[in-house]
Amino acid sequence: MADHPRVTAPSRRRRVRLAGFGFSTPWIIGFLLFMAGPIFVSLYYSFTEFNLFQPPKWVGLENYAALFGDPKFLRSIVNTAVFAIIGVPLGLVLALLVALSLNFPVRGQPLYRAIVYLPAIVPVVTATYLWRWVFNAQYGYLNVLLGHLGLPQPNWLVDPFWTRPSVIIITLWGIGGTAVIYLAALQQVPQQLYEAAAVDGANAWHRFRYVTWPTLTPVTLFQLIMGMIAALQIFAPTFLLTQDRNNAASGGPGDTLLSYTMYLFQNAFVFLRMGQAAAMAWILFLVIGALTVLILLSSRRWVHYGSE
Amino acid sequence: MTIRFSYLWTGAAAKALEGIIASFNASQSDIVVKGVSDPDQQAQLAAMTGSKGAFDISDNFATVTGSWASKGVVKSLDEYIQRDKFDLADFVPAALNACRYNNQVYQLPIAVNDSAMLYNKTLFEKAGIEKPPSTTGEWASAIAELTRSSSKGITQLGFCGTSSAAVDYRLLGVAHGGEWYHNNNPTPTDPGNIAGASFYVDNVIKKYGIKQIDRFASGFGDYQSPQAPFYQGKLAMVIDGEWQPAFIQQFAPNLDWGVAPVPYPDGRPELANTTMLAPGTLFIPSNTQHPDEAWEFMKYLVSKDTMRTFSKALSNLPSRRSLLKDKAYSTIKNFDVFLNLMASKNAKSMPSEPTLAQYTSDLATADDQITRLAKTPAAAYAEVAKLAKSYG
Amino acid sequence: MAVNSLIRPETPTPLPPISRRRPRRRYLGRKIGHHLILILICSAFLVPFAVMITTAFKTPQDIFRVPPKLLPDRWVLSNFSAAVRSMPFLRYLANTVFLVVLNVLGTMISCPLVAYSLAKLRWRGRNVVFGTVLSTMMLPSQVTFIPLYLLWDRIGAVGTFWPLIIPAFFGHPFYIFLLRQFFMGVPDSLREAGLLDGASELRIYLQVILPQAKAALATVAIFQFVATWTDFLLPLIYLNTQSNYTLSIGLYNFFGEHGVAWGPLMAACLIFTLPAVVIFMVAQRYFVQGIAVTGMK
Repeated sequence: MADHPRVTAPSRRRRVRLAGFGFSTPWIIGFLLFMAGPIFVSLYYSFTEFNLFQPPKWVGLENYAALFGDPKFLRSIVNTAVFAIIGVPLGLVLALLVALSLNFPVRGQPLYRAIVYLPAIVPVVTATYLWRWVFNAQYGYLNVLLGHLGLPQPNWLVDPFWTRPSVIIITLWGIGGTAVIYLAALQQVPQQLYEAAAVDGANAWHRFRYVTWPTLTPVTLFQLIMGMIAALQIFAPTFLLTQDRNNAASGGPGDTLLSYTMYLFQNAFVFLRMGQAAAMAWILFLVIGALTVLILLSSRRWVHYGSE
Repeated sequence: MTIRFSYLWTGAAAKALEGIIASFNASQSDIVVKGVSDPDQQAQLAAMTGSKGAFDISDNFATVTGSWASKGVVKSLDEYIQRDKFDLADFVPAALNACRYNNQVYQLPIAVNDSAMLYNKTLFEKAGIEKPPSTTGEWASAIAELTRSSSKGITQLGFCGTSSAAVDYRLLGVAHGGEWYHNNNPTPTDPGNIAGASFYVDNVIKKYGIKQIDRFASGFGDYQSPQAPFYQGKLAMVIDGEWQPAFIQQFAPNLDWGVAPVPYPDGRPELANTTMLAPGTLFIPSNTQHPDEAWEFMKYLVSKDTMRTFSKALSNLPSRRSLLKDKAYSTIKNFDVFLNLMASKNAKSMPSEPTLAQYTSDLATADDQITRLAKTPAAAYAEVAKLAKSYG
Repeated sequence: MAVNSLIRPETPTPLPPISRRRPRRRYLGRKIGHHLILILICSAFLVPFAVMITTAFKTPQDIFRVPPKLLPDRWVLSNFSAAVRSMPFLRYLANTVFLVVLNVLGTMISCPLVAYSLAKLRWRGRNVVFGTVLSTMMLPSQVTFIPLYLLWDRIGAVGTFWPLIIPAFFGHPFYIFLLRQFFMGVPDSLREAGLLDGASELRIYLQVILPQAKAALATVAIFQFVATWTDFLLPLIYLNTQSNYTLSIGLYNFFGEHGVAWGPLMAACLIFTLPAVVIFMVAQRYFVQGIAVTGMK
């Protein structure tokens, strides 16, 4: 599309500038109020000892140092890393497979699509309690099913080995959102490319690898980053699975359900160590930033924008 | 003048409370109390951080006294006590002391919990055991005789936790002569503590396997339901608190059961009748707008008659010494054992130190490692001792 | 270059029907195979729902039967009455709906406006502002969490709905980003035509651009609906009296109170999920269309 050179009068340009700035004011104000300001305040808190009831006391880097010597902190990192490293790629693969299936030219596609997406709109509270029941070792339907198939029936929520997979399964249940996004992307792959490939003698695998996949890489990149960010912030499922009578805070069997954000929350609201909670938040921020940059850098090698 | 009373109690306890609130409101016209049940301790704490209080009086446990008082979360009650010449002598000393910090009273105990060993009489008869064990040696052999397995796993277990493999290691430690604080410092590695944990590990976990016990415990319904393992008659002995008589009445009325103090180690009869007291308490948050009215209501709640009604409805122990022999409790089956334990000289409690929340959390992690055989009791508690150095 | 423009259509191209040159039998077999796979996948996703629904109607004996059976022997309604009796369900529902409506409204007002200014209008600082949008997409909410809480507390808003409503009117980075992508795909000619007619930027935005964006706006609206409907952490922190709890917190407290009474709990879950499901079933057509249109690139 050729670019028409634009000749605009200065007053017009000024009006455009005003309009542009004006339209963005809600965001700018909100950003300063709700994000920029608090970000710096929380950075300050991370260098203090602060229990909400008494004024903050400056302690320098002590919070950060204390965290790295805290076994619970390290444990929460391990747990969250499991969720991210295993859960996110698994989720993407599953979403893609589901999307490919949903793309079959069959009647009733909207119904299948709706069913797959349904779990994603179930409130996380409901979903977690529901799965807590399904995972019940004795009465839960999952073990019944496994029993029928002659497979071992693990003690999902009590055995420290199986607790994190349980959380991953719960998040995979909500994969419909990603699947639907992949589906939309799949439906935009031009048919001509497939036909061209068929003429070249490509089989189904080649079609996928050389036509479908490259077109999906931008979406995958986006979902990968968003998924990673979400996995690193997992809170509600682990929090609710370890919920006890009177809602006392705990970490689950062997502290395997202590996600990073959960420990942050405990530091803030159970131990009243706001300084350490703020430090944890900043560490998380830096890690997310670093990972995002890494993923983006790597993306040059595997993401295709436009045609091959 | 309306004041808000937010309480952690739910269910039957909440109903009893609402009745008490109604009586209070009817008895005078200056103060109207609005009660609301909210069991979420996090929300409770969050509500007290605001500059405007969400409630004027609430309840928790004596264990938070040190932590909250040191941060100024709750109001000291001393000025009210002195002004009204409120009599503190009738309260059980151990319960009231747990509500003190820096020699000021920050909470008042309203109901006390203690623990003992419940046992299934039917299973004991079947195994030919005449009476419940009084020493740990007898206890170990009773556990062995009362446990049965099949190829599918454990079908009957002599002793384990109420709904999981985890037990009250605090009590086991104290029953073996240990202590968890000494001179305001955490002492997790006290030999008694380690001995208590080792008893459970050696006689139950190592013998029958943690996976099997997990399976066994989780195969039942949850704690407050007729499907709990003890109610189902599959668990012969369990350590739990004085609310069990009321629960059993509700969930397992046909169970033939008894109570005995937790056994003491062989050769150490001076440790008999050990129990851990956990007072439930009332407090006034610092951010309330109506402290005077809240105090009036608090006095009403801990008054003798109200306390009798309330503790009976909860099947909790009263915190007033004058009520310990009260006839009202005689209708609750086996309650007398729990009542008598409160007066025992070995009735201990966790002191309310500001570091308690963190200590409890680290101990919970250690308990879990011990139960799963990931660490020996000595190693797990040594780790806690190391962490305890950085508290506060 | 022609292929390039094909990859960015503005409406999704429907797949052409399978070539009719294939023999009929193989065609049918493949179709059945497709259906089977889809049914298998959907069953996996539906099993938890089935468990929830059947458990909600079961008696305690059925729930704790060993070995467990999926279908109840006797369908009872007692769990529902127990659940509804023990919590003010309608109140929680009203609170949740209230929050959802206001949040969607706020998002609809602020996000397209900001996105448009970032996509189509040229002004100094545009790239900087877009940079802030991008970077805050990666900002974990935990970082601002505590200072925000203290901020709201300072003005006495803790315990009210304000902290859960006001931010929506200032824009959400994710939706701004999405809508910007969409607006970049809208032809410049539309705006230029409006300018030639002498309309102000605002009028162009409201009367020319927005109507083009219906599907994208519907998508964002549905995303925001779901996000607010299912939100747990914010209500947990900011709502502390029962009269303003949302459904999520109501359910959380129900569990805390009654421990695990599975029958009433499942009944409560079912009641809580139903409205969202109904609305989604009705609106899903727009939603999927919208996803394609906003071009997730």
